[in-house]
Amino acid sequence: MVAERHAPRQAWRIVGGRELRDIWVGGRGLTLAIAFSLLLSVVAYLVATNQALNFLEQRESVNLTLQVVIAVGALLALLTAADAVSGERERGTLETLLVTPVRRLHLTVGKLLAALSLWVAAFAITTQYVWFLGRGVGIVGDALATGLIVGSLLAVFLASLGFLVSLFADSNRISLSLSLLLLLALFAPTQLPSGAQKGWAGDLLLRINPITAGEHYVGKIVVDGHSWTEDVSWLASPIIAAPIFALIAAFLGARAMRLSGGASG
Amino acid sequence: MSPNVTTAVEARSVCKQYGALIAVDDLTFTIDAGQILGVLGPNGAGKTTAIRVLTTILAPTRGSFAVAGVPHTRPADIRRRIGVLPESAGYPEQQTGDEFLRYHARLHGHDKASGRSVAKALLTEVGLDDRRHSLIEGYSRGMRQRLGIARALVNDPQVVFLDEPTLGLDPAGQRQVLSLVRRIANERGATVLLSTHLLAEVEEVCSRVLILNRGRVAVEGTVSDVARRAAAPRSAKLRVPPEQVETAIRVLAGAQGVGVARGANGLPGTLAVTLNVDGHSPEMNLGLRALADAGVPVLSFELEGARLSDAFLAMTEAG
Repeated sequence: MVAERHAPRQAWRIVGGRELRDIWVGGRGLTLAIAFSLLLSVVAYLVATNQALNFLEQRESVNLTLQVVIAVGALLALLTAADAVSGERERGTLETLLVTPVRRLHLTVGKLLAALSLWVAAFAITTQYVWFLGRGVGIVGDALATGLIVGSLLAVFLASLGFLVSLFADSNRISLSLSLLLLLALFAPTQLPSGAQKGWAGDLLLRINPITAGEHYVGKIVVDGHSWTEDVSWLASPIIAAPIFALIAAFLGARAMRLSGGASG
Repeated sequence: MSPNVTTAVEARSVCKQYGALIAVDDLTFTIDAGQILGVLGPNGAGKTTAIRVLTTILAPTRGSFAVAGVPHTRPADIRRRIGVLPESAGYPEQQTGDEFLRYHARLHGHDKASGRSVAKALLTEVGLDDRRHSLIEGYSRGMRQRLGIARALVNDPQVVFLDEPTLGLDPAGQRQVLSLVRRIANERGATVLLSTHLLAEVEEVCSRVLILNRGRVAVEGTVSDVARRAAAPRSAKLRVPPEQVETAIRVLAGAQGVGVARGANGLPGTLAVTLNVDGHSPEMNLGLRALADAGVPVLSFELEGARLSDAFLAMTEAG
């Protein structure tokens, strides 16, 4: 018999590395990135060149682009995380992971970080479009920094949410559908008539929802030209939701990652 | 495993319950190091659940067990010492066999260099060296099962759990997998727990057998012990040249220890023989000797009820 081997101390890096390769080399990451890039190109071209369609002021164009990348990046991170456990279950690959000596916390961290790579890629693609649309009005730096902070907080929040759904869902289809439904519910207040968004109830609704609050903050910086601190209270719910959901995902991932979803097992 | 441990797996009154459903009930058995234990049972007998409990995937509802000398209260330590091929294991289609094994070697504590060499050695051992850089999506079922067995060996485990490793394989694939199972025990010195519903597999490779029925152990022991305990043979089939069937029936009718002999379905010249004695009795030879004395050649002879399949049916139908 050979000497007993111990699980690697930083197994999350090995798991994360493998997941990244599965997403970007063998999976759909690259295809999604190219599709997103094409979408942004069309939007940017129309906004920047077509006089008939160019109804937006330059700052609003940048804001629109940031809202798109935050929504799409968060959506991709959410759906990738929603597949993380239930997908492995359905493909029959989870059991072989669970019988390794790697701690389930490391599996959770590795998978969450890999899911976040889609947000990082989406944001990286967007930087050149923001630069192009925002050149000349001195907004590019602030816009990119705000977008990065808010988008990262929302991506962490949504990826953790998707992971939690995946952890307990009975099937991958349920996990993906429920995650998408939750995302739509979170985006729903942005579609409310402006009247409904006013008053203390409307204000509260926008502030407690991390997505609406984050997008509102980005708009205040990019469109209204406010300082970073002027509307910082709008960042409260994204700042609270991201770490709390990440911690809950890590905690439950470490304790409740099981071969079957639901309450069994 | 500490050097003195000779019991590779020890289960004491292990029970796994899902609500009102008892999947495994009072499972008690031991396997000595180096043995191959065949776990038999009809569908739903609790084989897979028992393996999942013993491999720490599921927590037992009651009872205790130890694997490689490690109690079940230390699941992470058990996982370091075992290799598992789960039932209907899935594989990442977009990885190559080499990538898949290197990844699992890393998860078991190998560094990059040793992971690479372990992957290469194992792929050679299971006969997949020439396909090591092919995507798993192009592997046949037999190749995937051999890859799964290779994965179960990346940590040089002391105990290997194989859940239905030959399920869905053609005869050639089954033979390759069984040959691997034998090598795991003989050359690596590992203990193997092989779950299957194919009796022939157990008779071919296992030193001991455990028959599960409705979550409980119906019988446990060596293959021959279990077969003997389950059913004492009381009938036999023999074959003589077709033109000498009538002579054979006449000779057997007068032979001691033989009740009735008559023609039977099957190959021409096949006779079904009812015995008056236990098939393991030396008196059984009297009928054969009578045939030899009468100049009737016996082309084949087989006792019925002395096989594991008879034991299996007796144990599982009785339950």
